[in-house]
Amino acid sequence: MKTGSFKFHVLYGLFGLLMGATLARIGFADYDQVHRMFIFADMRLLFTFGGAVLFAGAVFAVLRGHLPYHNKTLQPGTVPGSMLFGAGWAICGACPSIVFVQLGQGRLPALATLVGILFGVVLHKWAHARFFRWDTGTCGV
Amino acid sequence: MELVTGYWPWWVGALALGGVTIGFTLLVGRPLGVSGSWSKVIGWREERRLAKDAAAIQPGSEATHDAFLAATLAEFGEMGLTDVDDAGETNGKAAPGATKAQTIPWTAHLIFLFCMFLGGFLATYFAGNFHLHFDLSALHTRFAGGQWQSWVALLFGGMMVGFGTQMAGGCTSGHGLSGCSRLAAASLIATMSFFGTAVAVSFFVEVLAR
Repeated sequence: MKTGSFKFHVLYGLFGLLMGATLARIGFADYDQVHRMFIFADMRLLFTFGGAVLFAGAVFAVLRGHLPYHNKTLQPGTVPGSMLFGAGWAICGACPSIVFVQLGQGRLPALATLVGILFGVVLHKWAHARFFRWDTGTCGV
Repeated sequence: MELVTGYWPWWVGALALGGVTIGFTLLVGRPLGVSGSWSKVIGWREERRLAKDAAAIQPGSEATHDAFLAATLAEFGEMGLTDVDDAGETNGKAAPGATKAQTIPWTAHLIFLFCMFLGGFLATYFAGNFHLHFDLSALHTRFAGGQWQSWVALLFGGMMVGFGTQMAGGCTSGHGLSGCSRLAAASLIATMSFFGTAVAVSFFVEVLAR
């Protein structure tokens, strides 16, 4: 399918809908639920996430060789970037997809998170061009 | 009817989230990754510039020929010119490796992000749980030390999320779901790093909120 086509946009939107709805019904956009996962007070979300990885992993293992190329390589920013992200996630209970789900659920403070992420991405684009210049392996390009 | 109102039990969530990851990977033909969409949407002008540059260096175009000629003259003087004429035979044919991989336009990424918002809304609305919240949670307000402080904490937390995921080249979906399920070493290390840090900071939050 041509990636610029209307059909491709609809497909992408469909997966956005499915993912947003799934994350909302799992409770991944609920700060208290995510916090209770991180302090191991409630294992439900941890099992959900781990189960999803195992399920996808099993299917991908079978389809090995027929999967799209992925460029996740270890680069200088992998560990410090992830640590920064982890701290931010614990503080605002949101990762880059969850913030949209939170807004969809009517959680207004997520607007601050949205602006924050926007700033962060722009700041990184600037810092990357100015100082880092390594391949981050970001997906979806 | 716990399935409709409450949160899903872990195995339902695992099947749904895993299913979205598998479906996306196979049908879209790219690994699932939301921080990549952020990057593409915010860098939409970059895409336009790249397309323009790519058009400008089309093999065989007048401009490319002139640029190479000027560069050759500058580097080797008149001596180099015979080579340019020999190489001229390949004009009009694409150089090996010049076939451009199809990139996903930023508009598709924007629709993806917007539909995640819409999906969150629809799922919550039809579960009968939709109402406006002015604070993230009582716990979060207590941890930040007040309602407006909570918004400030979110702003800075969001900046860390934005900068961190771009620097790490992935987030919960890209590294956590896509990468880990394909046993990519970088993703396993990234997931351990962000999860470990989040656990440490969450225990700190727990202390502050007490």
